[in-house]
Amino acid sequence: MRFIHYTQPNARSVATTPGLGGGYGRTGIENELDWLFGTALAGFRGTPRGGRFPVDLYEDKDNTYVRAELPGVSRDAIGVEIVDGSLSIQASRKQKSGEAESTESFNRLVGIPDEVQADKVSASYENGVLTVTLPRKEEAKPKKINVSVN
Amino acid sequence: MSLLTSLIPSLNGGGSCADAGVEQTRRPRFEVNETDSAYELTVFLPGVSKEGLEITDEGGELRVTGKRAPRPTEGLVTLHRETSDATFKLVLEHENSVDSEKIGAELKDGVLHLSLAKAESAKPRKIAVN
Repeated sequence: MRFIHYTQPNARSVATTPGLGGGYGRTGIENELDWLFGTALAGFRGTPRGGRFPVDLYEDKDNTYVRAELPGVSRDAIGVEIVDGSLSIQASRKQKSGEAESTESFNRLVGIPDEVQADKVSASYENGVLTVTLPRKEEAKPKKINVSVN
Repeated sequence: MSLLTSLIPSLNGGGSCADAGVEQTRRPRFEVNETDSAYELTVFLPGVSKEGLEITDEGGELRVTGKRAPRPTEGLVTLHRETSDATFKLVLEHENSVDSEKIGAELKDGVLHLSLAKAESAKPRKIAVN
């Protein structure tokens, strides 16, 4: 068995191989084990998953996009920061169950490519999904090089 | 392989990939709180808007279906994915202990709150002793 070890999804180093028996999004057995432990230790349905939430990473030639699933969080409870070449996403959600009120917090560091214009990063939150748009630096954008034939 | 799929439930959830043509669905995370007069159901449906949401109640079964809006992926390279685009589907049996006429629903920020009033027969009743 081959173990692929990584601590955080890194934009360049993750091979998006389909998961065992699935392929509908989960990449690799490490995620499955994390989820399994998370649900086993946190109790059954309904309890917080220990602060983790699923994240997708995409890019096109102008931007890198980070998409996080954070349903039920209010916009002012979301914090997005760039720390040392990683994107840090923090959020908290208040839950009212009858009389009791509990707060659930989320925290995740996502590796992002270096060539990002940190001051032009924007984020939007819709339907419980946070999308962070990280524009790539001009020098990092793919440029067409004209080759002249003599 | 079958031993693994039985040990790790999520590998099995949503159906096997061999079912060509069958739409893959995922069970969303949900919580149920019970009060004397109603059940409060909270379902987490990130990425689902009102247009993609369908709630039906029949035969003692409450069904919640949430379609995620397809996102434009032209020109986008996928670097890493932890979510799936599968439709959310939740079926809860309540065996008619819920008053179907009085179900209230609210969808906000990807969270669906359902207020299911208990049917009269299911409410706790005080019995007077002579």
